[in-house]
Amino acid sequence: MIQTRNLTKKFGNFTAVDSLELNIRSGEIYGFLGPNGAGKTTTILMLLGILRPTSGDIYLFGEKFSSRRLDLKQKLGVVPEKHPAGMWKWMTAGEYLVLFADLYGIKKSDIRIKHLLQKVDLLEVKNKRMKDFSRGMLQKLSIVRALLPDPDILFLDEPIAGLDPIGIKQVRDFILSENREGRTVFISSHLLSEMEKICHRVAIISDGTLRAEETMDTLLSKFSREKEVQVDLEEIPDNLCSKLKELDFIIDASRQANTLVLKIPPDRDYRKDISRFLIQRELIPLRLYEKSISLEEVFTMITGQDTEKPIDSPENNIETSIDSGEKNEL
Amino acid sequence: MNYKLNAIKTISKRRIFETVISPGFYVATAAGLFLGYYLLSGFLDSVDSGGLNFSLHPVYNQIVEILSGAFGITFVEKLFSEGPFVFVLFVSFIPVFLYHAINTVFKFGFEKNVGALELLMYGPSDGTCFFLSFFIKDVLFTVIYIFTLALFFYLSSVINNLVLGPMFYFSLLIIFFLAVSGYSYGILASVLSGNAATSVALFSGIVVFFVILQIGSFAITGDYVKNLTNVIMWFIKWISPFFYMDIGLSAALYGNFFLFLLSILSILIISAVLLLISHFVLKVKGVRP
Repeated sequence: MIQTRNLTKKFGNFTAVDSLELNIRSGEIYGFLGPNGAGKTTTILMLLGILRPTSGDIYLFGEKFSSRRLDLKQKLGVVPEKHPAGMWKWMTAGEYLVLFADLYGIKKSDIRIKHLLQKVDLLEVKNKRMKDFSRGMLQKLSIVRALLPDPDILFLDEPIAGLDPIGIKQVRDFILSENREGRTVFISSHLLSEMEKICHRVAIISDGTLRAEETMDTLLSKFSREKEVQVDLEEIPDNLCSKLKELDFIIDASRQANTLVLKIPPDRDYRKDISRFLIQRELIPLRLYEKSISLEEVFTMITGQDTEKPIDSPENNIETSIDSGEKNEL
Repeated sequence: MNYKLNAIKTISKRRIFETVISPGFYVATAAGLFLGYYLLSGFLDSVDSGGLNFSLHPVYNQIVEILSGAFGITFVEKLFSEGPFVFVLFVSFIPVFLYHAINTVFKFGFEKNVGALELLMYGPSDGTCFFLSFFIKDVLFTVIYIFTLALFFYLSSVINNLVLGPMFYFSLLIIFFLAVSGYSYGILASVLSGNAATSVALFSGIVVFFVILQIGSFAITGDYVKNLTNVIMWFIKWISPFFYMDIGLSAALYGNFFLFLLSILSILIISAVLLLISHFVLKVKGVRP
């Protein structure tokens, strides 16, 4: 659906994007990740025809794309990170959407506007001026504007940044429902836990270079060297850890109060084997959960930057501790 | 191409609506018409049994003195050759021209700076559609205002038994094309600048520079400075709309219709070149501030 070939952008001697080869497939939710200054925004602006590449090509629906291809732009819906002020501020939501519907040449736009506003619960504020809108409302209105021409691809730049938990959930559900209806979604975001929940495939760029482009599962399994299983027991016998270490699939075993912490290979699910071993010794697991590697950890390994620390922090390195993964309870 | 035309039409419609609901537009129009009325009645006060005597009206007296000093007595004679209307027309036009030009320059710079222009670029539009919509709005309101002024002065001439001579009608045309080139300079200033303030400053600088240069070639008496101004003027005059305005008015006064048309054509060419440069600058520079 979108392909880039050797996409490069230079600002003087500085190469912001270097020979980028992206491949966004039809019907997927594609996450575009990278630390600040990685070249994310520059890439997005080139994909949208706002910035001209220094070299390389962009193909949209198999056709070569440039800023002059307004016919291809019609197929893109764009939600920028921040809704700009300017002339929009004094417009009502309805006027704003009618203006864009006219720009897209949409016939009988009233029906479509009503339908989309209803979808995001904004119909009752249709006649309210945008200057009185909250960030969340502006974000939803921005999504409605982007969806007006019924685009094939929806570009979202930091769609949930600055939203409250309810707003995040609403936007997430909306993205998922749009994707279920067949729309391809391209998201750039710093909120990696959210990206992990919704993206089918992700690309990670750093220093203007593509470091990875994989499906979420492939990416996570590629970087999992070991998994951690934690087992809560009523009581842990003294020799249990050493007995567990004798099992061929246990890399390491330790205890933290009444919790066993086991390191196992990522190749398959060993939770049944662990349970069986414990039950044979009349030890009943009260709770057993597996902690797999998170996207955030993979991101840290690839980019060498800790997402919770400033980008230039000297503590950023590939060995950053892995303790923020998602827990899958058995 | 259809997308572009549709974008220009849609954004122009919005600009026109914004102007119509803006109080500034009515204030500028009222100021222009009031100036016209005041200067016209002042002219009538300057007429006594001996004919035209500007010293009878202190404001006119002052204006004529300043104009003679700045542009020379020939220019003043040209200006009042057919009565007050050409001069009053020029003066009444200034507030509305400045309102539209500065409003466009400011809004363009501001909207580029806050990302509104970029937002339009996400859809089927581009920077050229954006500035052409401003240009069309300004030209449309200029035409409407010129018609209003023509009607106003026509009625004044009928009521006061004054003649509206051919110079007035030629001036109407000159003034329109002068405004068109002014708006084009405004758009170029907005495209070149990063924000609203620098856009307005650059545009004002261009206008003031051309005015000073025009005045300088008449007003400066010192030989060295005059020679220097003349040298600069020789290079700059080709891009100054005031230079062609002067030629056009002289051509109209002496009945040289061909030269008059040539001066208008020159102003049009300047405007077209300025818009073309703006288009290429936007293309290369992008719409981000």
